[in-house]
Amino acid sequence: MNLFTRPMKLLTAVVLEQTSEAVVKALLELGVLDFVHINKLDPQQMEKLSSRPSSVNRANLEEMRKRVEALLRQGHLDIPTSEVLDVKKLEKPQLEEYKRILDELTADLLSLKEKQKESNQQLMGLEEMRRYITEEKGEYLDLRVGEVTHGKTEDLGGKLAVYGGLLDRVPDSEKWICLTLRRDVSQVDPLLEKFGWVESSDVELQRKAISLIKDRLEAEHQKALKSRTEVEHAVDAVVKQQQSQLFAIWSNLRLNELCDQIRSYFAYTRNTTLFSGWVPSDQADQVRSAIMTASEGQCVIEWTNATEVPRQEVPVAIASPKALKPFQNIVNNYSTPEYGTVNPTIFVMIAYLSMFGLMFADVGQGLVLVLVGLLGSYSYKKNPLKPDGMLSRNVTSLLVYLGFSSMVFGALFGSYFGLSLFPALWFNYEAAVAGHAEGSLIHDVYGILGITIKFGIIIIYTGLVLNWVNLIRKRSYVTLLLDKNGLVGGLLFAVGLYMGFGFVESGYRQFPQTSWVAPVVTVCLVLLFARGFLSYFLSLRKGGPKHEPGKLILDSVMEWLVDVLEIFTGYLSNTLSFMRVAGLGIAHASLMESFKMLSSLVDGFGGIAIFILGNVLVIVLEGLSAGIQSLRLNYYEFFSRYFTGKGIAYEPVGLNSASSEKR
Amino acid sequence: MSRDPVTVYGFINAKLRAKIGLMRQDHLMESLLRSASLVEAVGVLRDSRYREVAHAYDQTGDLQQMELVLLQKEIEMYREVQKYLEGSPATFVQHLLGKIEVDNLKNAIRLWYSSIIRHRPIRHRSGYLFKEVILHPIDWTALINATGWDAVLNAVKATPYWDVLKAFTGQGLEQDGLFVMESKLDRLWYASLMQSCKDLSRQDREVATSIFLLEIDLRNLTILVRHGGYHQMEADKLRTLLLPWGSVFASPETEKYLAQKSGERSPLSIINRYFPGLEQTEVQQNRLGLHSDEASVLENLKIEGYLATRRQALYQKMLATDPFTIGLSLAYFFLCKEETAMIKAILNGKYYGYEEEYIRGVLG
Repeated sequence: MNLFTRPMKLLTAVVLEQTSEAVVKALLELGVLDFVHINKLDPQQMEKLSSRPSSVNRANLEEMRKRVEALLRQGHLDIPTSEVLDVKKLEKPQLEEYKRILDELTADLLSLKEKQKESNQQLMGLEEMRRYITEEKGEYLDLRVGEVTHGKTEDLGGKLAVYGGLLDRVPDSEKWICLTLRRDVSQVDPLLEKFGWVESSDVELQRKAISLIKDRLEAEHQKALKSRTEVEHAVDAVVKQQQSQLFAIWSNLRLNELCDQIRSYFAYTRNTTLFSGWVPSDQADQVRSAIMTASEGQCVIEWTNATEVPRQEVPVAIASPKALKPFQNIVNNYSTPEYGTVNPTIFVMIAYLSMFGLMFADVGQGLVLVLVGLLGSYSYKKNPLKPDGMLSRNVTSLLVYLGFSSMVFGALFGSYFGLSLFPALWFNYEAAVAGHAEGSLIHDVYGILGITIKFGIIIIYTGLVLNWVNLIRKRSYVTLLLDKNGLVGGLLFAVGLYMGFGFVESGYRQFPQTSWVAPVVTVCLVLLFARGFLSYFLSLRKGGPKHEPGKLILDSVMEWLVDVLEIFTGYLSNTLSFMRVAGLGIAHASLMESFKMLSSLVDGFGGIAIFILGNVLVIVLEGLSAGIQSLRLNYYEFFSRYFTGKGIAYEPVGLNSASSEKR
Repeated sequence: MSRDPVTVYGFINAKLRAKIGLMRQDHLMESLLRSASLVEAVGVLRDSRYREVAHAYDQTGDLQQMELVLLQKEIEMYREVQKYLEGSPATFVQHLLGKIEVDNLKNAIRLWYSSIIRHRPIRHRSGYLFKEVILHPIDWTALINATGWDAVLNAVKATPYWDVLKAFTGQGLEQDGLFVMESKLDRLWYASLMQSCKDLSRQDREVATSIFLLEIDLRNLTILVRHGGYHQMEADKLRTLLLPWGSVFASPETEKYLAQKSGERSPLSIINRYFPGLEQTEVQQNRLGLHSDEASVLENLKIEGYLATRRQALYQKMLATDPFTIGLSLAYFFLCKEETAMIKAILNGKYYGYEEEYIRGVLG
């Protein structure tokens, strides 16, 4: 793992045009080059170059690929992943042919779907009558038993079907049962009359008719249901039959999309192709040899170090171990660090886990989080295409870490599902909250608040030190010395802490009476004031714009005032903000104590149920609050000290690139 | 004691704003329009918040079943927002849901009418009807199976609709059709809506009435143009169709319009006074192509188009101004309903094999 962002190199290469396709394939397979549009190069170089319109329309490729995906999904098949992409199988896309195949398949599916619709409508009609029989709503049904004296019963059955009616023969008899809906009686009556329907006077048969027709209705219902489901399966089968062809089309379309994406960064002279892009330094040799091989050695490759390019133009690649991915995502969610600065991932991990553990310290509850996290991760691993639920992939991985942190702090504070099963390794948190931890290292809530404030100070100073390291790497010495997050800011914070702790130690009566405080603060304030002028003169020396003296003074005074305000209020509020860590920890301990008391009031299973329910509630609510508050402290109190978020992310074009180009 | 607007709307409006943000991001309509067939359009829905609609297609292959799911989602939308509100705003949202009930009731009565009065088999069509309780205990099954008008009345006896429907008879409906009855049902809904507007706080009332009075005005204008102008309905009859709220209803221009001979009526003075710009509104060319021979339909489309534009502007304003009023919920309902209507139209267009450009033209 790199402590800083990965060093990058800018590649500029020229290859012969006839080898450019091979180079595209090689670069795509390698997937490490973050291309730069050639128009960002030197304008003089640009004049000699031209761009070429693409031979294929990428939007068409993407649209057709989406068609393939929709058809696969209609057949309940998974969409292929980038793993099936093989650059060696890249061909010119036969769009017309693909369209024909897809149109034919779509037509087949639509005709099947039409059949399914008919089955569904038949099913709906049967279901309605079935429901009325089941719910004993016979008043909506028209059930008759009789004989057909004219015409064919098949014809009558067919005509009744228009109204969703059924005609069924009474076993071993010439009589028929006719079931329709009463609302259709005005149309069914003339129909039956036309077929010479003679109603039977057999009361017993009339009574039995409902159970007789019920079987038929059930059978018809099953038949229609089966038919509807069969069509659904037929749709799946038709798509499945074409799966390999669809996969092949999908792969070729996707490969062509990616190649076209790469080609769109290319520029051309009459015989050569020129392209440029960023590569992590440790992969530069790999890229070089891939281009050399693909172009059969007929190429010119130039490397530019990132130091020769404005920092803000260099894409930022961060190398963190896979295990730290949840914390990497927390960083990415905030922003991209500046090129060459500290990779915050490991620091975020330590800070986040410590904060969470302090707020949610319990071995048992932590174990639950670990188990939930492991189960969730296992479920996603088992079904890689499963969409993220409320507990997303990232959250499940994070839960495992949070659970372990909670367990460690739980052991330190002696809490096991809220019970003190084993002695605390550090101090008993719950006893301290309850105020009966005499003789313990920490014996009341003030002690807990003190710990979290000290923890906050460590976090803020870690942020400041990281900022100083970043500023040294960026060679921003004026900012390092005179910024509110620089050495002067750090010194003022230290003076503030000294005064604050002195005040507390005196029993909140007076600040420490030390002679050096006033001169140090004054010097710091003067240095802060000088910053505006110093920056201006340095900028002038580098050829920056000249300002009116009045404006310069006004700007510097304003900047100074804002800085001073930010230092005095910002540091104070940032430090006190960490009291929330104690607040949530105390709330956690208090809630557990309350549930324990409640459960002790109820005997037997009720008591156990209250205890379990209490734990579940605390895990869900407190776990969520602690997670959110830790995130908030990281983003606002920690990141604001050193993380400018001004970087641009490194996004190489490769087989694993996102399906739609985002940049 | 009424609660402060921030407490009432803080949570729900933040939630709705996030949902509106997501709706605007996802380019769902564009993807639907660009899909090559119904199968592909369903594929687009599969990965969206309309996945249940796609599921219905997988199971049934039936477009109308998909529409039923969309209706269910619309009902859920109102209920979800209502759940997070309380007091007069919650009652107001409930009244808005009442419009779906009124429309469902009209659909059910149309089906009944088709079956019993017009003797056309409705077979499975009742299956596409939403039959659960929306607001009032209408016995949908009894209604659809009613063999006479009395049974229809019986199915709605414990609801406010009974008072409206009892004024009609089966014989009368057979002769005059359902139009007047449907207008009365709509009028009942508007009456309850305006009543519930009165119970809202001042800010909410202003926001809600600005929207609904515009709708009422344009509805009244449509009635005047369509029935007063093209169908030359008598003034007294016409007056009973008008909704008794808004500027158009109370305006002297409307009185003058009604006083004119039916063949000589011109709505221009009303339009010029209340809807400047409407006369200049152009109906889409392809719409013209669709109904070139039907002037009243065109006029209707023109007013609808104008209403849509004005409403759009009003809702945009609501999204940009005070976030702690009922306005955001109304804007959310509007956007969702608009989206649902477009999805239905696109799915139908794809089902019948219309080209993308044609569907775009029809959607306007």
